[in-house]
Amino acid sequence: MAMIDRRDFVKLVGAGSVGAGAGFMLAETIKHPVEHLIPYPVPPEEFSQGIATWYNTVCSMCSAGCGISVRTLEGRAKKIEGNPSHPVNQGRLCALGQAGLQVLYNPDRLTAPMLRTGERGDGAFVQTTWEEGLAEAANRLSSLRASGQVDRVCFLAGGVRGHVGRLFERFMAELGSDRLLNCDFGHAQTLYTASELFFGERQLPYYDLENTRYVLSFGADFLGGWLSPVHHSLGFGRSRQGRSGVRGRFVQIEPRMSLSGAAADEWIPARPGTEGILALGIARHIVEEGGYAGADRAAWAESLAGYTTERVAEQTGIESATIVRLAEAFAGTRPSLAIGGGAVGNHTNGVDALVAVNALNYLAGNIGQTGGLVFNPVPAFGPTARAGQSGYRALLELAEDARQGRIEVLILNATNPVFAMPAAAAFEQALAEIPFIVSLSSFMDETTALADLILPSHTYLESWGDDTPEPGVGFTVAAIAQPVVAPLYNTRATADIILGLAQELGLGDALPWASAEEYIKASWREIYERAPPDAATRSFDEFWRSVLKAGIWGEETRREAAAFTVDASVIARVGVAAPEFSGSSDEYPFVLHPYSSHALHDGRAANLPWMQELPDPMTSVVYGSWVELNPATAEELELREGDLVEVQSAHGAVTVPVFVFPAIRPDVVAVPIGQGHSEYGRYAKNRGVNVLEILAPLVEPTTGSLASSATRVRLVRTGRTARIVKTGGASRQLGRGVVQTTGEGASAGPRATLKGIPITVEPA
Amino acid sequence: MNVDSSGRDGGGRGADQVGVSIVPTLRLLTPAALILGVGFVGLVLGYWANAAFVPGTTPEQPIDFSHRIHAGDFQIPCLYCHSQARRSPVAGVPSVNKCVGCHNTVASDRPQIREVLQYFANKEPIPWIKVHDLPDFVYFPHKRHVAAGVECQTCHGPVETMDRVTRLAPTKMGLCLDCHKQHGVEHGLDCWTCHK
Repeated sequence: MAMIDRRDFVKLVGAGSVGAGAGFMLAETIKHPVEHLIPYPVPPEEFSQGIATWYNTVCSMCSAGCGISVRTLEGRAKKIEGNPSHPVNQGRLCALGQAGLQVLYNPDRLTAPMLRTGERGDGAFVQTTWEEGLAEAANRLSSLRASGQVDRVCFLAGGVRGHVGRLFERFMAELGSDRLLNCDFGHAQTLYTASELFFGERQLPYYDLENTRYVLSFGADFLGGWLSPVHHSLGFGRSRQGRSGVRGRFVQIEPRMSLSGAAADEWIPARPGTEGILALGIARHIVEEGGYAGADRAAWAESLAGYTTERVAEQTGIESATIVRLAEAFAGTRPSLAIGGGAVGNHTNGVDALVAVNALNYLAGNIGQTGGLVFNPVPAFGPTARAGQSGYRALLELAEDARQGRIEVLILNATNPVFAMPAAAAFEQALAEIPFIVSLSSFMDETTALADLILPSHTYLESWGDDTPEPGVGFTVAAIAQPVVAPLYNTRATADIILGLAQELGLGDALPWASAEEYIKASWREIYERAPPDAATRSFDEFWRSVLKAGIWGEETRREAAAFTVDASVIARVGVAAPEFSGSSDEYPFVLHPYSSHALHDGRAANLPWMQELPDPMTSVVYGSWVELNPATAEELELREGDLVEVQSAHGAVTVPVFVFPAIRPDVVAVPIGQGHSEYGRYAKNRGVNVLEILAPLVEPTTGSLASSATRVRLVRTGRTARIVKTGGASRQLGRGVVQTTGEGASAGPRATLKGIPITVEPA
Repeated sequence: MNVDSSGRDGGGRGADQVGVSIVPTLRLLTPAALILGVGFVGLVLGYWANAAFVPGTTPEQPIDFSHRIHAGDFQIPCLYCHSQARRSPVAGVPSVNKCVGCHNTVASDRPQIREVLQYFANKEPIPWIKVHDLPDFVYFPHKRHVAAGVECQTCHGPVETMDRVTRLAPTKMGLCLDCHKQHGVEHGLDCWTCHK
């Protein structure tokens, strides 16, 4: 063997050591990582390791008030499902409800009270304690109280229902200020007013979709996002397939096909804003030729005299034959149901249009009928805060007061007006004039970013509360919301924050409850006491536990189908004016149709990754914003999918890619609401555009709500393009027969062609 | 044909022909190969040393709890403390509360027990380290196995003889399948039985 010299020896020793070290580390890295078994110090009574505990509570992702069951394992919420006992959702749950877990575990949650340090809007905050935070807020409020200026305190809430909403009312009343505003962008204010004007009660009726045979929907995307989509979907499904030998027919009238429009037998794109006129055209036909035999026939005939089929056809762009056909089908099918909402209520004639829809139900004899429009009993806790929502006009007044220096303290809860208000309202600038803003938000949204003090709330899965669903289900129901997990961070339930503030302010006598739980429990004791069978047979604790366990409580309080008659003065007032739009049609040729995103709702879900990646059901687009154009419009403007255009209104512009969408009127362009956040966490921020910014500040005069569908726009090509992220390749069948249809539509064959590609449409 | 000792045949190639030998190259490579070889031997040795001396199958626990004393000497049944095993997928560890239940009075002056009592007084969990751990893609319900009468020791080894619990059996798929085969478990060899 050759001699090894010193150098080689060192090399070999080095190689051996490095090899041994590497081998040792290799074995170490592929070893199973150390995991811990963490026992409870004292386990909860019902707890078993490895066995899930389900807690029933109330979903707060939208305003429908579905019941949910949350699966928890070792103190962590793992999955949300619908509560099968809850009459609203009956065990089902929508995607937004499922994504509630991402609210709880969101990495961008506010985790502790914070005080602003830098300039307002810089985002510079320093953490503080609850004691200091509450004391700071209480100091401001008590000095205003001392100087008799307590009416300069404004509480802007998102329309929280149940006893938490009541607590806000009580707190403000005790404080001595009447400036409690409930503002939720998606709130159907015009619908409530239309109900009040026609039926004399400010609550929504129950739409009995399940038992109806013919639905005529005016703009209400009731399967997509309108009011209570899960309940409506259940009812609609049963009306279609739940009865032997009967298939409910459904006609949708709207300028841009929504998810509901896609499910309809017939989709009728009337001119935007003229849907109410169409309803009255149908109503007139029923009165004059459809054999309406009510005692008030003459009054109706007089009131509707102007809505002749020919005139209505001219105004709405719908053929006379179609109007007559709809009227005969609607009046001739028993029971039938007309519903109105969505964009129809967001025009300058919104309330009148929705009153017209109510009138249609009345004339067809659907009021109080099974399969028609059923009145709800008074909600379990009395009229709800949502019925008393303040609209756009109230916010404008608030902004004006702020500019005049008449607002000293603004308290914000679960509302984001800076995002939801059009730029034309200059709301953000008005907030700058308010010396002290407190936000109770769980997230750093656009409005909270302007706050001076943030007292972060628990998420709904950590809070006590209660709720009565809206719209109701025809009988009295209520549910308790209970925490399903211990709080993740140093946050507090909204009700606890208010109770804490009350304590600091010395209002403890009027608001004596020590915690949100105690307050809710005390409120439910009243319900227990007024329900005799419960009070007689079991103790309050038993009652309370059983309601918590079931996740729902109800009373058999269906209202009698008493004969409902409309006052002659109401009949005389029925009438729908032509809609007004901002901007002339020469300068701004298109009507902008902003619609609530299926996934992101009004933008509140933009911080949830699951919702961001959920494809839009009509376009299959994910993540961004887009503007939908009819193929004919796109061809005329020589625009193709992905071309970036500036959508300009008289009040601003947003730049979005074009999406060519066949199911939209050529004179309408549609942009989804929900994206375009400048704050609100990593998943929401700087993604897409906020179309609400460019809306014209037109209001519906009766309610003062924003006429968000009344803006005209023009499209200006930028010359740039962007790739739209979507799951679908082709949006048409290209003659492959992927979706085959039978029935009256199929035999008609191709009725239109687009660049030589046949498009089959149902006969209009 | 005559072939001489050099391996050349007479008529084919002449001695004057130039051959290409890999020997010089090999000579050049020898030191590198040697270093690599020694390095590889080192690697194997290092790996073995880790597996042999630091196996991680007997982790040091925050409290020197002895199963030999509890389950062996005092004959406390496994399911007394791991009571979830008969009704849950996981056997679970007893709550601190359960330890204190006895040790409030039993041996409460010993330093290790005092530590347990301290955890309880602070309402803190004892951070036990898992000895037997299956990957998340395996569904192993204790409940079914306890119900079928499988002894805990079948998989966990003679825990009642161990002062510090060690993992004897490799928790690999073969162990499961062998046992399922041996006992003729219905659907015991189906993928979906364990990989749900």
